[in-house]
Amino acid sequence: MDLSVIDWGDIWLATWETLVMTGVSLFFTILLGLPLGILLFVTAKRQLLEQGLVYTVLSFVVNVLRSVPFLILLIVMIPVTVILIGTSLGVEGAIPPLVVGTAPFFARLVENVLREVDRGVIEACQAMGIRTARIIFGALLPEALPGLIAAVTVTAITLMSYAAMSGVIGGGGLGDLAIRFGYQRFQTEVMVITVALLVVLVQIIQYSGDRLVLYFTRK
Amino acid sequence: MIRIENLRKTYRAADGREVEALADIELEIGAGEVFGIIGRSGAGKSTLIRTLNLLERPDAGRVLIDGEDITHLDSEGLYALRRRVGMIFQHFNLLNAKTVADNIDWPLKATGHANAAERAARVKELLALVGLSEQGHKYPSQLSGGQKQRVGIARALANRPQILLCDEATSALDPETTQSILKLLLDINRQLGLTIVLITHEMQVIRTICDRVAVIDGGRIVEAGKVVDVFLHPQHPVTRSMVAQSDALAAASFDPAHVYMKDKLRGRLVRLTYIGDVTYQPILSRIMAGAKVQVTILQGEVSSIKDVPFGQLLLELEGGEDDIREVFAELDRHQIHHEVLQ
Repeated sequence: MDLSVIDWGDIWLATWETLVMTGVSLFFTILLGLPLGILLFVTAKRQLLEQGLVYTVLSFVVNVLRSVPFLILLIVMIPVTVILIGTSLGVEGAIPPLVVGTAPFFARLVENVLREVDRGVIEACQAMGIRTARIIFGALLPEALPGLIAAVTVTAITLMSYAAMSGVIGGGGLGDLAIRFGYQRFQTEVMVITVALLVVLVQIIQYSGDRLVLYFTRK
Repeated sequence: MIRIENLRKTYRAADGREVEALADIELEIGAGEVFGIIGRSGAGKSTLIRTLNLLERPDAGRVLIDGEDITHLDSEGLYALRRRVGMIFQHFNLLNAKTVADNIDWPLKATGHANAAERAARVKELLALVGLSEQGHKYPSQLSGGQKQRVGIARALANRPQILLCDEATSALDPETTQSILKLLLDINRQLGLTIVLITHEMQVIRTICDRVAVIDGGRIVEAGKVVDVFLHPQHPVTRSMVAQSDALAAASFDPAHVYMKDKLRGRLVRLTYIGDVTYQPILSRIMAGAKVQVTILQGEVSSIKDVPFGQLLLELEGGEDDIREVFAELDRHQIHHEVLQ
């Protein structure tokens, strides 16, 4: 393997772009997915604000979005992305499909994490005469915090791999580099380096996430 | 204080059948009383106590607290009611993510007590009341079961309720810890004049702290009254069998068929029951000293239920019919209840 052919400037730029895509999409994924997940949880059967119809509709939408393969979603989203931010290319063009692809996934994770919170604890809060909104934000979410952090960690890693995939439609970042140089120009070295970098990034995210979960676990 | 009228609740079981959890429940619980509801698992006691703060909604009937029917409260009224009715649970249900002090502070903070200094003072006071002054900074996972229940009690008292509901509050604790929690509940009942309603399947709990008891079976109250009366003269078969399981009171549900050497009994088998001051007076010895009757004590107990002393003895009396009748008359005169078993 001849590492001298590699343009390290390109590599670092692509790494930075990957981090930006992952970070910004993660922010918007949480912004959309967390409320959606909470809504799924509280409207479900026998929960705080049981609303059968709302739950059924939300759940259906989430399932539909989750059943579209991400590669297809990337292509389907192109016109929408152009309307939203003016271009479907580069780092910013990758963000809308990334968010749409992962927010429903994250919402489901949130719903499952909230279900793990002891029902008795929520019931105790109800017995104290505390309002439902207050129970959700003051008791339910703090109790679920370690699980929510774990869900964010899993989602961040999913986003990073999706971000790499967005290279297929000209999305920028390490995936883009791997496809253009590693695949189309047969520069195996670039392919190896990008994959190695992705492995390192994923390890760092998982490790940090695990540490945070441990830090906030009080059980 | 609390009146339950005609309460009904029916569940639909998984197989579609209707299960009657509560049927025609009528109860009256006085202010400052410690009222126990005892029953086997599945008897409906948990459903019953949960209707008192509407964690469980009855299908029919009324629950009156201070004369107000709570089943018709709107959501604001319900919030207000629940702040006046504290509750503690079998599995404590503490918030794991909050410290002990924050757990106690939580109902205050979340129900709109804005003044942090006042809240801190109240938390400190409550920690002292339940004997956990040094544990405020710890998390629930660092506490023993008994300590967790103490936090539960402090938390339930934070908003100064008039009623405390105890849902199997000692069932997850060992006997020694159970006694210490019961003692704490009794102290609170006396110090604060708090009305306590508890459910349990343990006779010992009822016997230690309750003034009155209701026995529930199959969703119905089968027997209710003062604890001494219900325990010493159980009427319903369910009550009898529950009393029999509590070793100390076995004589109350005594079955003559099980008397050791019953074939060799020559005289009459008699059960004496007495309650109150007579327990500590030498009445039996006085009566027997003058009577021409031989007495053998076969089984018995002298103890107390809550703070009422009582005695219950199983005797064999040998002698002439008239002499025995004379003994019975003497017993009646001293308000010692007798019952001829054989």
